[in-house]
Amino acid sequence: METHRLSGKYAIAGLGMVVGVPEKELAKRKADLPGHPMLEHAIPSPVLDLSAKDLEAEAARRSIEDAGLSNQDIDGAVHVHGGPRSGRGVVEHMDAFPRMLGLPVNFYYHCGRGGGWGTIGIITALSFLELGLAKYVVIAGSREDWTRSHRRDVREQGVRGQVNLASVAGMWGPTFGRTAAAHDHSMFATRHRHEYGTTEEQFGAGAIQVRAWACKNPLALMYGRPATMEDYLASPMYIAPYHLMDMAVTTDGAVAFVLTSIERARDCPKPPVAVLGIGYGDAQGGQWWEGAAHYTRLPVAKAKEAAFGQAGIAIQDIDVAQFYDCFTAELILQLEDYGWCAKGEGGAYIEAGHIGPGGATPANTSGGLLSAYHLADMTGLSEAIFQLRGEAQERQVPNARISLVTGHGGEVFAPGMCSIHTSLVLGRP
Amino acid sequence: MAWTKPIPVVEKVMKPFWEGLKNHRFLLMKCNECGAWYWPATYCRNHRNKPFFGSLSWTDASGQGKIISFNVTRVAMRPAFKDETPYVYALIQLSEGPIISSNIINCPAESVHIDMPVRVVYRDVAEINLTIPYFEPL
Repeated sequence: METHRLSGKYAIAGLGMVVGVPEKELAKRKADLPGHPMLEHAIPSPVLDLSAKDLEAEAARRSIEDAGLSNQDIDGAVHVHGGPRSGRGVVEHMDAFPRMLGLPVNFYYHCGRGGGWGTIGIITALSFLELGLAKYVVIAGSREDWTRSHRRDVREQGVRGQVNLASVAGMWGPTFGRTAAAHDHSMFATRHRHEYGTTEEQFGAGAIQVRAWACKNPLALMYGRPATMEDYLASPMYIAPYHLMDMAVTTDGAVAFVLTSIERARDCPKPPVAVLGIGYGDAQGGQWWEGAAHYTRLPVAKAKEAAFGQAGIAIQDIDVAQFYDCFTAELILQLEDYGWCAKGEGGAYIEAGHIGPGGATPANTSGGLLSAYHLADMTGLSEAIFQLRGEAQERQVPNARISLVTGHGGEVFAPGMCSIHTSLVLGRP
Repeated sequence: MAWTKPIPVVEKVMKPFWEGLKNHRFLLMKCNECGAWYWPATYCRNHRNKPFFGSLSWTDASGQGKIISFNVTRVAMRPAFKDETPYVYALIQLSEGPIISSNIINCPAESVHIDMPVRVVYRDVAEINLTIPYFEPL
């Protein structure tokens, strides 16, 4: 198939990450698995003397080192984040990793929407690379959600989950107890169950299979904690129809990567991971009169068409998928919307065991947002890099050449929520 | 009882909606030219618009609709909702078309289902000088 002129022209040359693992658990894992490469990325949570901006600078430093470059080589930088969300500003810190690392950047700014961090960062960086305004761009994002939500004063107040209390203009839901992302996202699950008869066990099957991947990744929060259907059904029902196990974990951590031309990436020590295609979908335009139809699918169609078209690939070319799995319904919806199965059959597709280890469509091999670490789409992006470099250790998909990485999210001014979908196709040249 | 829940942010452009609620009127934006209904403030998507929201007028609406999806919070994520559990948070497609979200009250959580017809219930909260629109079974 024809490919877009930019397809394969730019590549990821370096990856840096730090991921928080609860302190005692981390000590145990280090003792059990001395020298395990994934644990090189682990830091103890809570992060105590550090904050998200510091994690981000450290991830950036590691990505530059991983690319075999020096700080003086970096001439562009992008900070990626969740954008305007309830109670959070556009950026949560007033310092920047280029300042901390002394990067001689020609440009630095920030972008992102919801969970669409890395892919939107790549889109931003590509414009500078393509215009010849930068040679090596570092894209980095971070969060300190575990530390924040485990603070004693926060816990004592009875606050659970992500800590973002305030309302902002345009935000409608908090007054009605829309206090967690699950209050928005579970609407997809309820509606899908209603229209297609998707069962509680089918949602559980997704959580269990992603958990099985996490058990192969010592960096994952849920490493060492395999789950059965009995465990799932017994998992506390927080926001019905969602059990605790239907919801993503909260994590401290940061991911950074270096984007450059494929030629320059080939001169770096690690195997390049090429950007083959990028697509973007947004449901905002039609949301209000689509009514119920909006709640059984994600705006994948245009994103897929663009990304797959640029890359010249079809769905069967994808060796490993990294879906944005903030909740279990998103797994079902994306399998359907990309065409791994027909609309309404996502539950049965997962129930057949397809996305877990040994399945036909290995997905979220890090353990995903559900069971590994929630660093937005940078969780899937970092995992795609590990897989395509052949560095995924126990969870390596044999001969993985092409990986899909998706993002999901947007402004959550309920009921108009999570309108975007990003689609990124990465490949080993 | 003291109001401890998050206080709605009343945007200037949405003031007529909130003023309507105080008078127990449920107003939506209606296009003067083609009759299309909107909530919250939106330009009419069907044709050119006058500046700002000049093509639309806040107009009395039915205050009725049906549930298109919902969830039931059994474990409160914030202390202000601890005494409310289990509570139902629902997406309601209004009879005029737009979608709004609110709590479904005055019925057991187990009785709530998709396609359930509902209507607005006004709760005047003097403490915050606002009227909050909840919904109940029709």
